[in-house]
Amino acid sequence: MARVSIDPVTRIEGHLRIDVEVDGGAVQQAWASCTMWRGIETILLGRDPREGWVFAQRFCGVCTTVHAMASVRAVEDALQLEIPPNAQYIRNLILIGHALHDHIVHFYQLSALDWVDITTIPKANPGRAASIAGNVSAWPGNSQRALEEVQNKVTGLIGSGQLGIFSHGYWSHPAMRLSPELNLILFAHYLQALEFQRKSCQVVGILGGKTPHIQNLAVGGVMNAINLNSLATMNMDRLGMLQSLLQELVPFVQQAYFVDACLLAASYPEWFRYGRGVANYLAVPDLPVDAKATKFDLPGGVIVNGNLGSLHRIQNWRDQGIRAAVAEDVTHAWYQGEGAQRPWQGKTAPDYTDFRENGKYTWVKAPRYNSQPMQVGPLANVLVGYASGHPLTRKWTDNAFNRILSFQGSTVTPEALQSTMGRYLARAIRSAMLSELALQHWQLLTDNILKGDDTIYNPPQFPQHEVEGVGLHEAPRGTLSHWVVIDKGAFSNYQAVVPTTWNASPRDEKGVPGPYESSLLANPVADPAKPLEVLRTVHSFDPCMACACHTFDVNGREIAQVKVL
Amino acid sequence: MNKTAVGGPAPVRVVGLGNVLLGDDGFGPLAIEMFRCKYECGANVDILDLGTPGLDLAAYLYAAELVVIADAVHAQEKPGTVWVCCEDDLTARRAQLRLTDHDQGVVETLGLLRLAGCAPSGIVIVGVVPKSCGLGESVSSAVLSSCPLAVDNIARLLLERGIDCRPRQVPVPPNLWWQRTSDGWNAPKL
Repeated sequence: MARVSIDPVTRIEGHLRIDVEVDGGAVQQAWASCTMWRGIETILLGRDPREGWVFAQRFCGVCTTVHAMASVRAVEDALQLEIPPNAQYIRNLILIGHALHDHIVHFYQLSALDWVDITTIPKANPGRAASIAGNVSAWPGNSQRALEEVQNKVTGLIGSGQLGIFSHGYWSHPAMRLSPELNLILFAHYLQALEFQRKSCQVVGILGGKTPHIQNLAVGGVMNAINLNSLATMNMDRLGMLQSLLQELVPFVQQAYFVDACLLAASYPEWFRYGRGVANYLAVPDLPVDAKATKFDLPGGVIVNGNLGSLHRIQNWRDQGIRAAVAEDVTHAWYQGEGAQRPWQGKTAPDYTDFRENGKYTWVKAPRYNSQPMQVGPLANVLVGYASGHPLTRKWTDNAFNRILSFQGSTVTPEALQSTMGRYLARAIRSAMLSELALQHWQLLTDNILKGDDTIYNPPQFPQHEVEGVGLHEAPRGTLSHWVVIDKGAFSNYQAVVPTTWNASPRDEKGVPGPYESSLLANPVADPAKPLEVLRTVHSFDPCMACACHTFDVNGREIAQVKVL
Repeated sequence: MNKTAVGGPAPVRVVGLGNVLLGDDGFGPLAIEMFRCKYECGANVDILDLGTPGLDLAAYLYAAELVVIADAVHAQEKPGTVWVCCEDDLTARRAQLRLTDHDQGVVETLGLLRLAGCAPSGIVIVGVVPKSCGLGESVSSAVLSSCPLAVDNIARLLLERGIDCRPRQVPVPPNLWWQRTSDGWNAPKL
């Protein structure tokens, strides 16, 4: 029995420690621990709810936009305040821009190198690689010349004897199995992705005024003045810029990222068998298309025990089920109290002990939905959409299944999606869906403005009595909810239940583990000193532990530590 | 040569890193706001509070001419000590540098952009040694009193490279919204 402790897990946003016990080449037990305090909400107590979002978007350095959005939605929910259609569309376009950025960064920069062995790239035949890529995609970045250029760069890097930023990879690991040509294709897109990350940031920046940390939100709508005759406001010029950016972004998502995820899935079919973990899924509806938020372009719902037939739809944000179902358990988290509390009554009072595997061992609380752990994220989003018969989800999911079948002849089903590889594939499916929706929501916004509607904001009115609200958002990493209590125009409680809290949840009072922990069980580990397979499963969730602090250290502490105990 | 978006001069970026909610970790955003208020620059100079972007930094460094980063730096020095390091210092200290909470930070981002052929031509870090980075704390007086020195260093670095940067005739009042508490303003005296 080998005990492996990975602290910190690298190539994630934030700070995460994973402990696994390995026996017979597979994980027997696992613990997920967030080693940073997550109680930043306390800073909002007593503040004016109209400015809560400005502070909330500093909760995390990476997912700034999503916290801003959940915060205004929570206050609007408490006040039962509608926002104008223009505000819905502008917010939706920001959310899509942010999500595409996040998903592209995750697939390439944060996880591709778990599957792509760059050290084999010098052996690739660029002509053959260009023909493989050309057969499956019209992406212009697949030309032989483009691939040769990338190969030369990598050959130069390896020849210099210093892999630099890539020196920590598990190169030549037996679980790395792509051909040199596929490694070259995926790595070429890895470098090309940088340009498209920038374009997706520009989408957010044009609408949000600034990125990161958008400036255009308001409780009640947005602050993007619309006047087609003014140079300084949202006008046809700016809408045109936005459309061109989206038209450049969409092909990368559909022809490079989506196809790469299908190629990866076809090449590593065994990873559809590992990493299932908690098979209860939660997704909330998002991308509302009307002022009252009654119709959504992404459906929400709950699936239990991996059975798509069990789908219970969450129709809209006023859904009473989710308000009653969510509670957070602190039995194994470094907070005072016992058992589970609903977020509106939730407290965040620290109670730090050391890492005690049978006691408290993390700063993450254990959220539960009707007492059950839930998995959130693009996989939940795609499964709920698929089970709902949502045409756009079906279209891209079936497209992925057909591609994988044609690449390698292996059949993937919605059942098989519930796995480590399924999470990577679902994120790519969701990205393809969002890329289509981006252009649709651009059209909705433009049509509405051309119709003569320039309304962007409904002013909020705060009652003298106490009101509760929840702001829901289907963020890139999954369901995000901000729970607020407002009393006499000030926050008297504020709790954020973030996607990574659901997925990195510790055990609860009944000892039931969370999604990371249970997904690692039976995960293969060929070499405990190089736990690449553990990283594949952990990275499949796109972990984002509260990225609260950021400083340079010039004293030479270790970059990562893999301890085999 | 760097690729530019519209054929004008490649952008210069003065960026602040750090979380404004965490005491001295907010040095970067504070310093660049003070810089913006004291100096004015040419149209190709962007002054950006980037918070704690991790690898998302890549999008903001992409194809820039010069990037000046203001950030908190951990070192065995007195709180408030100002450090100026250039890229060679960073590279030489590669094994000793680490972003405490973002694994994918400045060094990784630079390496990646370089490989992709769109790294900034130059990068300088203006750092200050923090005293305390606690939640909801104000910036410490040690760091605050070093702020003018750090700000003037940013201006000097730009001027040395021939970049348009002049002291304002009339300084602009800083917008330090994060220093506002529920009881009113708690802005530091500057």
